[in-house]
Amino acid sequence: MNPRTHFPSEILKHAILLGGAMVVILPFYLMLSFSLKSPAEITSITGGFFGSQELITDPRCIKEGKPKAECTMRPIVYNYTAAFKEAPLLRYLLNGVIVTVSIFIIQVLVALPCAYALAKLRFWGRDVVFGLVIFCLLIPVHAIALPLYIMLAKVGLTNTYAALVIPWTISVFGIFLMRQFFKTVPDDLIDAARMDGMSEFSIVWKVMLPTAIPALLAFAIFSVVAHWNDYYWPRVVITGDRDLMTPPLGLRMFKSDLDGNEYGPMMAATTVIVAPLVVAFLLAQRRFIEGITLTGMK
Amino acid sequence: MIHSRAPIAFVAPAVILMFIILIAPVFIAGTLSFTDYNLGNPGFNWVGWKNYDALVSRTGYKKMFSASLAYVLIVVPISVALGLGSALLISSLRFGGEVYKTVFFLPVMATLLAMAIVWEFTLDPIVGVLNHVLRSGCDIGWLHSFLTGSWLGMDATSSWYGHGCSETFPLWIGDKDYALGTIAFIGIWQAFGFNMVLYLAGLTSVPRELYSAAAMDGADSGWERFKLVTWPMLGPTHVFVVTITSIRSFQVFDTVEALTRGGPSKSTYVMVYAMFEKGIRQNLIGVGSAITVVFLAFVLILTMTQVYFVNRRVHYS
Repeated sequence: MNPRTHFPSEILKHAILLGGAMVVILPFYLMLSFSLKSPAEITSITGGFFGSQELITDPRCIKEGKPKAECTMRPIVYNYTAAFKEAPLLRYLLNGVIVTVSIFIIQVLVALPCAYALAKLRFWGRDVVFGLVIFCLLIPVHAIALPLYIMLAKVGLTNTYAALVIPWTISVFGIFLMRQFFKTVPDDLIDAARMDGMSEFSIVWKVMLPTAIPALLAFAIFSVVAHWNDYYWPRVVITGDRDLMTPPLGLRMFKSDLDGNEYGPMMAATTVIVAPLVVAFLLAQRRFIEGITLTGMK
Repeated sequence: MIHSRAPIAFVAPAVILMFIILIAPVFIAGTLSFTDYNLGNPGFNWVGWKNYDALVSRTGYKKMFSASLAYVLIVVPISVALGLGSALLISSLRFGGEVYKTVFFLPVMATLLAMAIVWEFTLDPIVGVLNHVLRSGCDIGWLHSFLTGSWLGMDATSSWYGHGCSETFPLWIGDKDYALGTIAFIGIWQAFGFNMVLYLAGLTSVPRELYSAAAMDGADSGWERFKLVTWPMLGPTHVFVVTITSIRSFQVFDTVEALTRGGPSKSTYVMVYAMFEKGIRQNLIGVGSAITVVFLAFVLILTMTQVYFVNRRVHYS
């Protein structure tokens, strides 16, 4: 094949993909750009990507009776300080970390022993339990949301961290994934551990857990991405109490009580919330793509 | 056989949680869908099929089904086609493929609710970038005549673009004729990168020899090779991609709740949003549960279809 005959088609492919890439990037570009610019530049759509960064005065700050010098700042500073001041953004981020980390840890604590038992131990009822896991894989989260909400409301747990975490403590997908992985671990390894006098309990945590690190990492990415980004469930169980809101829910509240058109601070908050996962993704793309797609059958 | 309590102790927490968190709620929803239960009332009455009757007879719920169905029918074919198309293009590139792959996968990672808010600003009829760009095109003579078709002798004001220039461009999410399409666009924007990655994985498993075999049989053009080898060999991937995209589109919620709240005039009143609004906001748990049951039935039908196709399929590996 002559490379020269392929030259035009190669250019054409790049042109198509580049066009698509621009549409895909557009909202990310605008988000970042708006978070840097002054309100006037945003509404008039001028100033390019960075804006002119001319000093602006915050009218609300003047109203509070502070000196003008203190209320005058660069748009970028104004947007990001307003985002952290008006929305308790740090609190939302902290909640996001608390919720996603607790969910992941509990999921592993519950799933790992079960997966080990299903893969490596023979006991009465094993096939029934595995059948149950497969059956539960079919149940979509939105189908259990309403009854779970009622159950939590009945025991008075709405508007608590528990409500955000409890429904996700069981990951049948995690059990399934880890079981498949443990199936590939040689029996000799476990037998050797038993010979050394290890209990089944310490086999799970001291032998199986270390071998399962790659699979667990993929599952961790899947779990953390899903729950950091989840908006539906927090929206259902957290009503009003801002101190418990996760990043997406907090952002939604910020949007609904904006006075006027405060696009700049809003976009600054959006950038701060989207950034952690996007940065992590750019640093470890292969792992992220693996984690989200291999486990994407949920 | 291990004669200890270890297996039971290992399995018990998971089994108990499965029953309480996953299985019991399905039965509770099924039961409550035949009642007029609501939070705050101590008791409830059995109402028979009344809640389901409402779902099939009231116009509001008919709009719910049509909005959900329309959303799925727009998002699934387009995001699957774009996923396959971009995977084919990327895998045939000499260089730069990784970059496009990263870019197209970004929306899959990014918090959908946050990005929905950015799209809302982009699509804002007054300060949004999209309508700004559309408006500025009106003043450029050649572009205007090209887009309105007046260079072909067509009537400029009767075209979509010409009408937009002389009157106004659409309000997008604020217009009942455009809202669902706009929400679907965001759904496609978010989902197709995921499909692309699945197709890229599928493409790597197509044996190279098959292409030379097809070439020997006279399949010279790229299109013929695609038709003879690539498309059929991707069979299992197609089934998986289509099912998972359908199930996910049925679950659309974030964009609807944040941008349209089911409106205007219920044009975006999709099932999961209706479930949330009726069951949780308005405390009409009977109706909410009935929607839940119907929703579950749809998802199970989709999954069963997938299982059927997967089992029927000839495996080439």
